[in-house]
Amino acid sequence: MNYWQVILGNFGSITLNLIFFIWMSWILLGRIPNRGGRRMALCLIYVLILVLIQSSLGALCYLKGVWKWNYGIGRFLWQYFVLAGGALLLRWMYQVSFRNCCLAAVMAEILCSYGELLSQLYVYGKFYDLAVLNQRQEYLFWMFVIRPGCLLLCSLVIHKSGMGDLYRNWMEQKRMHKGIIAFIALCPLIYIALETAGQEPEGASLLLPLALLMMTHMILAYVVRDQEQKQYIAAQQASLAQQTIYIEKMEQIQSEVRRFRHDFKNMTAGMYLKAQEGDIEALQSFIQEMTEDFDRQAGEQVRLLNQLANVRMTEIKGLLLEKLARMQKEGICCDLEVLRPFEATRMRSTDLCRCLGILVDNAMDEVRGRKDARIHLMISSREGCTTFRVRNTLCGEVDFRRLGMEGYTTKGEGHGIGLGNYRRIVEKYDFVFPFTAIQEGDFVQEFQIQEV
Amino acid sequence: MLPIYICEDEGQIREAERLWLEKQILIENYDMEIALCTGRPEELLEALKGERRQGIYFLDVEFKGASMDGFGLGQEIRKLDSRGFLVYVTAFRELAFETFRYHLEALDYICKENVQGMYEGISRCLRIIAARVEAEQGERQKYFTVKTLDIVRHIPLSDILYFATSGRTHRIELHACRERLDFLGSMKELEERLGEGFLRAHRAYLVQVSQIEEADFKNRELVLKNGERCPFSRALRGKLKELFLKGKTV
Repeated sequence: MNYWQVILGNFGSITLNLIFFIWMSWILLGRIPNRGGRRMALCLIYVLILVLIQSSLGALCYLKGVWKWNYGIGRFLWQYFVLAGGALLLRWMYQVSFRNCCLAAVMAEILCSYGELLSQLYVYGKFYDLAVLNQRQEYLFWMFVIRPGCLLLCSLVIHKSGMGDLYRNWMEQKRMHKGIIAFIALCPLIYIALETAGQEPEGASLLLPLALLMMTHMILAYVVRDQEQKQYIAAQQASLAQQTIYIEKMEQIQSEVRRFRHDFKNMTAGMYLKAQEGDIEALQSFIQEMTEDFDRQAGEQVRLLNQLANVRMTEIKGLLLEKLARMQKEGICCDLEVLRPFEATRMRSTDLCRCLGILVDNAMDEVRGRKDARIHLMISSREGCTTFRVRNTLCGEVDFRRLGMEGYTTKGEGHGIGLGNYRRIVEKYDFVFPFTAIQEGDFVQEFQIQEV
Repeated sequence: MLPIYICEDEGQIREAERLWLEKQILIENYDMEIALCTGRPEELLEALKGERRQGIYFLDVEFKGASMDGFGLGQEIRKLDSRGFLVYVTAFRELAFETFRYHLEALDYICKENVQGMYEGISRCLRIIAARVEAEQGERQKYFTVKTLDIVRHIPLSDILYFATSGRTHRIELHACRERLDFLGSMKELEERLGEGFLRAHRAYLVQVSQIEEADFKNRELVLKNGERCPFSRALRGKLKELFLKGKTV
């Protein structure tokens, strides 16, 4: 076969591979963000260029005998070259970090291998001389009918198996095991090594790589399940903490009511005397004092609990409880407003907690130690939109120009990472709109989440 | 003359509000009048239909037996009178006023549990409204209005430094002296809407000319009054030189 014939053959098979690679990546990374028609067209051009480069280089490698290099080195190099191209494509499509793209590319390749292995059962033990027409026809039948069929079947099973959720949960973990990352990164290498080593005894060439794939799958499943278990325990602990705080608040209210009940009779006796004397003004101020006192003591706690009851998302409730308890301990005045029940949002809960945590921490740092300062938190959940707003009294100067830049802080060394991180998280989402302002002497940070 | 609308379901409080308002209008000689005093939100909305004037609204938060609460009434009023002044008079100290202010641009809230406090609150609100109306009449400030999801914001045009594309489709970043926000839009539309006062310095930047302090031709950057820097395209070099020779009068 001449160079151009090989390119032509490669073009078909590589296009097929890429289609399944994109499908697997879609399963792993989720919906491709819509970045407009122009970007989509550029993406298609990139795919075409990638196919052309891989086809021509693959043909060159085939004709120069690169695949036959000792220890499968040629195949290793080729495999990682293909993966690098795939990772760049994912980076272009998803705009996520290159590390995540590399991991997703390797995982997508691993998932595609299931179909690949299944299809190899058909050609197992056969050798095709492509120069012979009959054999070439059979090879092409395998390449363009059997192989896509097997890939399609496996892809459908993977799609239905919830592998995407498993992978995304793993990616969401705060600490991803470096060992597992290294293992996944080296998987193609081990796969080829096993494939090469498994030529003897007969039959092992399929079983060994299959065992590797299964092992990868199982490790990932184990890690994610383990993490889910930890999250479940954390949620239970948050719920317990929530109940403890709730009980504390109820006890505070109860003790206030008891105290009020004790004073009540004395107060009414005093009021009765004032009324008898006809001193209406004194009577009015007496009533006012009494209601204000009760409202200040018990009313504050009731108010806070009423607002917290509207937060139905456990993670956010836990975060708010922790922050509110800390503020109470440090003597920071804080109001919380949740007018309508807040149930859920499109933003990932981990990212939402991080964003809200950063904003509240910053507000606390700003007002700490100031008696006249306060923080106001608002969660507004309306049809199609959820807003989180953190407002705090501005005690110092804010350089608006540098706000959100890496390392900018008004708090001295060791700070200044929060707002940069916040900005980075928010920018990941097409449906989140941040807003920052100085309004009436207050510093306001808010983000709106488009829910539909 | 500014019409005042009272919507309060408790008869005694409603009457007290009306009397106090009439007294204040008379004493302070405000250019205001009580247009309606009702206990039913539906009646208030009916009265507003066809009304073109900016109004003042003293509203209760909870209405017994009505189809809507104070928040819903505020939303309906905003549809009919976007510039009106909303004041909530409530017995609930736990009123989520920030939410009311955020979504409805409510002016204030007054606690009615203490009648004296309520009177003081009403007087304070009238003073603020009168001052605002007077200031608005003399004001020539232009605003850039932008809608992000369900919120409409008005940003003084003179405060805007520049607009920048954020790398995400149709996403524009607005950088003002004391505000920064993201919204959906296109640079082309903005350029057409804002006209000559803004310069398309770069494919990704639309800069307010009056905010440019100097042009760094060596690094091809515009230095703004607050010290921020925006890149400018090679093609703009000539136009900028011309602009600076004219003394930035655009």
